[in-house]
Amino acid sequence: MAKSAAEWNAPPKFPATHYVDSRIYTDQAIFDEEREKLFKPSWIIACHESEIAAPYDYRLFNHPAGVPLIVVRGDDGNVRAFYNICPHRGNTILYDPSGNAKRMTCIFHQWSFDSRGNCVDITRAEQGYQDRFCKADAGLREVRCELAFGGFVWVNLVDDCAPVREFVGGALDILEPYMQQPMEIFHYHKAHVRTNFKLWHDTNSEFYHDFIHYFNRITGMLQPGYFQRKYTGFPNGHATVGSMQVQYDKYDGSKERRVGWPGLAPGGWYMIDIFPGMTYNLRTSVLRIDTAIPIGPNEVIIEFRGLGLKSDSAEERSQRVFDHNMIWGPFGRNLHEDLLGVHGQGRAMRGGTDSRWVLQGREENSTIHDECGMRHYYAEWSRRMGRPAYDPYREGKPEPALQAA
Amino acid sequence: MAKPELRQAIEELIYRSCLALDAGEYKAFLAMCENDFRYTIATYSPEIRRDMVWLDHDRKGMETLFGNLPKHNSDHSPLTRHATVYTVEIDGDVANVVSALQVFRTLLDGGATELFAVGRFHDTVKLDGADAKLARRLVKLETRLLGYGYHVPF
Repeated sequence: MAKSAAEWNAPPKFPATHYVDSRIYTDQAIFDEEREKLFKPSWIIACHESEIAAPYDYRLFNHPAGVPLIVVRGDDGNVRAFYNICPHRGNTILYDPSGNAKRMTCIFHQWSFDSRGNCVDITRAEQGYQDRFCKADAGLREVRCELAFGGFVWVNLVDDCAPVREFVGGALDILEPYMQQPMEIFHYHKAHVRTNFKLWHDTNSEFYHDFIHYFNRITGMLQPGYFQRKYTGFPNGHATVGSMQVQYDKYDGSKERRVGWPGLAPGGWYMIDIFPGMTYNLRTSVLRIDTAIPIGPNEVIIEFRGLGLKSDSAEERSQRVFDHNMIWGPFGRNLHEDLLGVHGQGRAMRGGTDSRWVLQGREENSTIHDECGMRHYYAEWSRRMGRPAYDPYREGKPEPALQAA
Repeated sequence: MAKPELRQAIEELIYRSCLALDAGEYKAFLAMCENDFRYTIATYSPEIRRDMVWLDHDRKGMETLFGNLPKHNSDHSPLTRHATVYTVEIDGDVANVVSALQVFRTLLDGGATELFAVGRFHDTVKLDGADAKLARRLVKLETRLLGYGYHVPF
């Protein structure tokens, strides 16, 4: 039965933890607050160590909180991260997204920095600053940086933050046995989508949307084990999804994957969602990593990485690339569908559309079509933001939710 | 240097391949391809400083890809492929052809057209008298930001 305006605006008939107010996906003030409260204090994946394999290799990263960063491997082999902002006149220091730079020199006035963040040259320093300011006063702003969980470079903007292992907790325990061998990146691309970053993370946090994917329906949903996959929530808003044996050969044009992953059962598939916008996705022969970089409340850039093993033969690597592209490349069968899905949500939820609620009410004993993964995320969101996602403006707890609570 | 009539036949093959794909006439496109046809989309990532392959299929793989399209949820905005043949180099019964490629996408609602991607076709054309067929198509993309992507190859 279609709804009147009053019925459309009325809170859903679920417990308040089982839906969110759509305005958390569109409001600029909420978005600005999210950058401060969700992204700034969180550990975020900036890149993989294989992207900066040699001394002085660097990689730029636009941190989701808004800060431009340089991740660089030092002359001592250690990886560090700095603001890509010259301490002199606030200019960009490095422009190319990656490279090798023994000295990082700002083109504006040629101030130069080494791979440890020390200023090593100020042009005409003595003439201009006499003894009032020197190289020791002009170091780069360093941010916390750790290599962890498969050789990924994690960064944190808060100096006194807890270690990354404390932030992740046990969420990646399920994947650690499969990340013991050195990995290597073979794929990187970005998708720019007019949607909210949380909607992308939501998509990675629920499998009910497998109905959009013919590939997943035929190779997964219709196969044994699919409905036994279970979600597990972890502190700090992270969640994991258990494995099954995907039947790749059920899709015309696909076949059982010849190249597997050390220790992983044939056809195995684990997903781990890391708060507030990252996903590890180990699917049989390829590890995919998503990192959401929000631009605005209705605009996000998602970085996609594909990784194989550093020890791959040419044939093995070629097969991993093929497996990756079949579903996850820019022309892949699944990624386009997922991105269309969140693009559609962005269209329907932008300001003025009168989108009101997003339901997360499915309960199936934490199995694959349960929406507990999203609920777990928004519980952490509410904790960090200091108000519930179902009532972000403190307009009063909706009546049905009150009863349910 | 290719003879004018041969070059014309080769150029026409490239342009007809674009027209067929634009129209979704996949059988017509495949009819322009050799049995051992191979199609690849590749690009270079300055971010990770690596060559990347984004799609790679033999003829059978392309047939399957086209055949599966109706089973998938896809963006239905039509593409318009604009190719300009730059160079044709004849080597016996093979021509190596490099063409500039621009791909435009036209939105169904309102009909706005946007530039979707630029790159080049690196085609290998098999010559058999007056007959010319695609033996290999390598699409080398410059554009890497493709929004929510697309299911149909360029």
